[in-house]
Amino acid sequence: MAYEGPIQELIDELARLPGIGPKSAQRLAFWLVKAPPDEAKRLAEAIVRAKERIAFCRECGNVAEGDRCRICRDASRDPTQLCVVEEPTDAATLERAGLIKGRYHVLGGAISPLDGVGPEDLRVQELLDRVERDGVREVIVATNPNLEGNATAMYVAALLKPLGVRVTRLASGLPVGGDLEYADEVTLSQALEGRREM
Amino acid sequence: MRLAWVELRDLRNHRHTVLEDLPDGLLVFVGPNGEGKTNLLEGIFVLYAVGTPRAATAEPLVRRGCERAYARGEVASAQGRALIEVEIPRRGAARMRVNRSPVRRRRDLRRHVRAVLASPADLGIVVGDPARRRGFLDEAVVALQPAADTLSSAYDRVLRQRNRLLKEHEGGGAPVGLEAWNEQLVVAGTALTRARAAAVAEVGPAASEAFERITGSALQVRYASNVPTDGDLEEGFRARLAERRDDEIARRTTLVGPHRDDLDLGVRELRARGFASHGESWGAALCLRLGLAAAIERAIGEAPLVLVDDPYSGLDPERRVRLGEDLRARADRAQVVVTVADEGHVGEASAVWEIRAGEARRRGAA
Ligand SMILES: [Zn+2]
Repeated sequence: MAYEGPIQELIDELARLPGIGPKSAQRLAFWLVKAPPDEAKRLAEAIVRAKERIAFCRECGNVAEGDRCRICRDASRDPTQLCVVEEPTDAATLERAGLIKGRYHVLGGAISPLDGVGPEDLRVQELLDRVERDGVREVIVATNPNLEGNATAMYVAALLKPLGVRVTRLASGLPVGGDLEYADEVTLSQALEGRREM
Repeated sequence: MRLAWVELRDLRNHRHTVLEDLPDGLLVFVGPNGEGKTNLLEGIFVLYAVGTPRAATAEPLVRRGCERAYARGEVASAQGRALIEVEIPRRGAARMRVNRSPVRRRRDLRRHVRAVLASPADLGIVVGDPARRRGFLDEAVVALQPAADTLSSAYDRVLRQRNRLLKEHEGGGAPVGLEAWNEQLVVAGTALTRARAAAVAEVGPAASEAFERITGSALQVRYASNVPTDGDLEEGFRARLAERRDDEIARRTTLVGPHRDDLDLGVRELRARGFASHGESWGAALCLRLGLAAAIERAIGEAPLVLVDDPYSGLDPERRVRLGEDLRARADRAQVVVTVADEGHVGEASAVWEIRAGEARRRGAA
């Protein structure tokens, strides 16, 4: 069913967001239209502000306010240890658990031919450059413990090993086939303790 | 394992069918074809295998004009009694409850109920293409090891990823990242190969024995794995991938792995031979199912429900008699439910239901 003018435009825009189907888009749109004016305005402004102020860190690819993120600017972090993750949310999960002494490297996804994502779509070259430039000694590969995450880990490890760097993978114990995001701190900490050479 | 009662609602042509006080032993559904005896049998099987597509018919489980079908039943096993309830909507996923608590996975039903269904559609396992035999292998893997129900879908996912990579590759050499997908293929593929080999080792001998009792000849059941199973499985898989690498790149698809497995079936006399008649082929298909039932019994320590749809019409009189004896012998240890179209095939049963127009009437009941 199509509505007239602005409401349909809003529905169409919302439906383009990840995880939002046409029905949810419709529900959100009507909620926003019925909400007090400042409620909708606050949301719109937050989106615009985020878009203007938040950039991606040129070092690690994580979200940042400015051209380098808080962690890459923090001189107390161990520059010789890098933890490779798929998405900023994964870095946030590990960071909340306070387990990584070094810094992160966000690939921006995982290799998945079915989704049209190849190694060239990920920040792999940036990772190799960073390892060579910063004298990195250990790379902990913390891509998701599912098929695509494992394939990505293996691909990355094969490129890193010739550089003479220690490459480790979080130990099993993480929910197999799942997302890092859903692992609790104890599990993450055990997975990190038990990380094994690749 | 014993079914105490079962109730179907709006399932195929059964508007509301209840079978109560099911005794041990051999239970028979008799009635002309098309009246609903197969539907009743499949309705019982739903309690074990809801949502599992079976090739028997393309007809939906939900009765025409209805939104959802229901199957309920109570199963008594060594672990106690379990009330199994399944609700199947016309579209979307089925909902399952065990002892009134919702369960999410089919695996959760299999902890409480095990069943084997043999039907004329199984003839395809013997005379159909290798995909049907791989389907049987994977059914056997899950039946024997419910926790292994992810192996085949996990392998399928790697295969589709790797095939897409090969398909979209342009230019010379190997696609970037192929090595990483090779290793995923080896990991998922060897897990599936091991499980299939273990299933054949359990099912094959039992199937062969059943076939010998019914036909007088042994059945040859051999797992024809696509990757070499002698020696280290992972190494063999990797070596085969290396050998076929150029072929795979040229043909842009995966040529090595359990998606190319088969099951070699034949009659073992002086030398192995193919099946000479329809009756022999159907006997082999039936005996694979009976072999699976025997393997499950060994694995869990009690016999599963055995459901056999129309076993006799494809057999000559002598084999019919021997199969009847075999099924009655099984019925001493477990419930065996058989459908027959011909009144003359009912035999000595613990209970008989006449099935007409989607309704069941117990013979001898008031
Ligand atoms: Zn950074």
